[in-house]
Amino acid sequence: MVESTKIRLDFRKSLGSFTLAVDCTLETKVSAFLGVSGSGKSTLLNCVSGTLTPDEGEIAFGDEILYASASKINVPPEKRRFGYVFQEGYLFPHLTVAQNIRYGQPNPRKSSDAVDVLEISELLQRYPNELSGGQRQRVAIARALAMEPRMLLMDEPLAALDSALKDRIIPYLHHVKEVFEIPILYITHAFSEAMTLADEAFLIADGEIVASGEPHRLLTAPSAMPIAQLTGVENILFLPVTASDKARGLTVLEIGNQSLMIPYIDIKIGEVVPVAIRAEDIIISLEPNLSISARNVLPGKIRNLDVKNDRTWVSILVERHHLAVKITHEAREQLQLREGLAVYCVIKASAINLMWD
Amino acid sequence: MRITPAEIAALSLSIKVALFSLVIMFPPGLLVGWLLAKRTFPGKAFLNTLVMCPLVLPPIVSGYVLLILFGRHGFIGGFIYQIFGIEIVFSQVAVIIAVSIISFPLLVRGIVTGMESVPLELENAARTLGASPLKVFWTITFPLAYRGIVGGTILGFSKSLGEFGATIMVAGNIPDKTQTMALAIFSAVHLGEDASVYRLVFISTVVAFIALWLTERFTLR
Repeated sequence: MVESTKIRLDFRKSLGSFTLAVDCTLETKVSAFLGVSGSGKSTLLNCVSGTLTPDEGEIAFGDEILYASASKINVPPEKRRFGYVFQEGYLFPHLTVAQNIRYGQPNPRKSSDAVDVLEISELLQRYPNELSGGQRQRVAIARALAMEPRMLLMDEPLAALDSALKDRIIPYLHHVKEVFEIPILYITHAFSEAMTLADEAFLIADGEIVASGEPHRLLTAPSAMPIAQLTGVENILFLPVTASDKARGLTVLEIGNQSLMIPYIDIKIGEVVPVAIRAEDIIISLEPNLSISARNVLPGKIRNLDVKNDRTWVSILVERHHLAVKITHEAREQLQLREGLAVYCVIKASAINLMWD
Repeated sequence: MRITPAEIAALSLSIKVALFSLVIMFPPGLLVGWLLAKRTFPGKAFLNTLVMCPLVLPPIVSGYVLLILFGRHGFIGGFIYQIFGIEIVFSQVAVIIAVSIISFPLLVRGIVTGMESVPLELENAARTLGASPLKVFWTITFPLAYRGIVGGTILGFSKSLGEFGATIMVAGNIPDKTQTMALAIFSAVHLGEDASVYRLVFISTVVAFIALWLTERFTLR
């Protein structure tokens, strides 16, 4: 594999009262920026593409400086040669698919590999308004690739599609990643996309990078805060499926030597799925044998108690997984919770959500 | 219905002047329309006001301003007289100037409306695909603003055909020279030539109707 070009992003951009300030170096093939809407992801991508000019700082692609406030360098977007795939596609409505693809092609007479990779050769004579959402996005990706870019910028290319379509497009993205030897900068609010595609992920919140690292590790890090900031969900676990029963409406996941029941999902046994549990949806019990409707009672040990203004955060170790639990101060006092205490985590099956996005 | 040579002269002058004015004003109209629709710059509100002024001023007032400017002792007219020895006012050139100034706001409004409807994101997408701002203009902005541009062009053209106030101020009402359709109707009414009035009114109505109908056809899907 060709070594990836280092991309240096160190700049600041204010839009009204919002400020984006980043300082990072992208060294892997696919870098994902994860964040909720309004976190500054799109601003970041627009600054990299050159359609938005930062207030100050520097952007460099390898040795080439694209923007530098100090030396007043600002390479216009048409000279940067970065393929940009937009969430909404932004195909030119008055041009056919073929004309859209040719628009940025250095040699318009040559047919582009992108057409084959994205399997759109049958759509070439159509106009964008004659395409389905998934086809449109494939054409948008092909158009960005046909210009033979030095880097691919992807702004939530799947966000406008429903989940069935997403699953159909993701293999194309993998294909693109393998066939085209260029770095990809991918922004998304969906874990699953970042997980499956990215080599490195950056969590972005309120215009700042709050954490970075290999996506899987990043999302399962004991410090739940970045993830909580991103989604409002404190606990994300990656667990294998051990059984699935459509009639009973349950799927069973394995968490260490314990089982975790979740509402039925149509998935193969053995597959690892990401699940999310909110900290306030976990009940702490001192007894295992309760007569309650909740299906999951997991034994664990309190690692840490953190008394915040209105709530107590309890970190519980369950089979090598850390669970963050949010309870009232009153509950903490009544149960006399302390570090090292053996407790049970009670979780309703319906409180466990699949993190497909 | 028998149309007299004088009436034909008035009609053909109106059409000729409207076409000329369109050809002359279209390029600056595109430029000003693009500036107003797509750019932010100091003095934008002032430029907009200046261009739109003839739309709200009484045409007589616009005509009077032009008369002052283009007269033999005027700021522009004096200059032209000294260099070329040509007098602008009360000539066919004055008619063209008058209708151009009056119809320009309608042309520009149409172009601005058309260009504003082209999303900036599409233009940015074209930039990222390697297109210079000029290429973006001709391949994306212009074709997508087409309806608005056609609409503005036809409305401006219709306005030129029927312009009265500014024309009579700066070009007079000289039969066979500066007498347009509107001025011919005015004269005919004054002279009590009812038959001529009816014919001219009929022709004007038909021309205006066709222009408006064409606008609708091009601007509505």
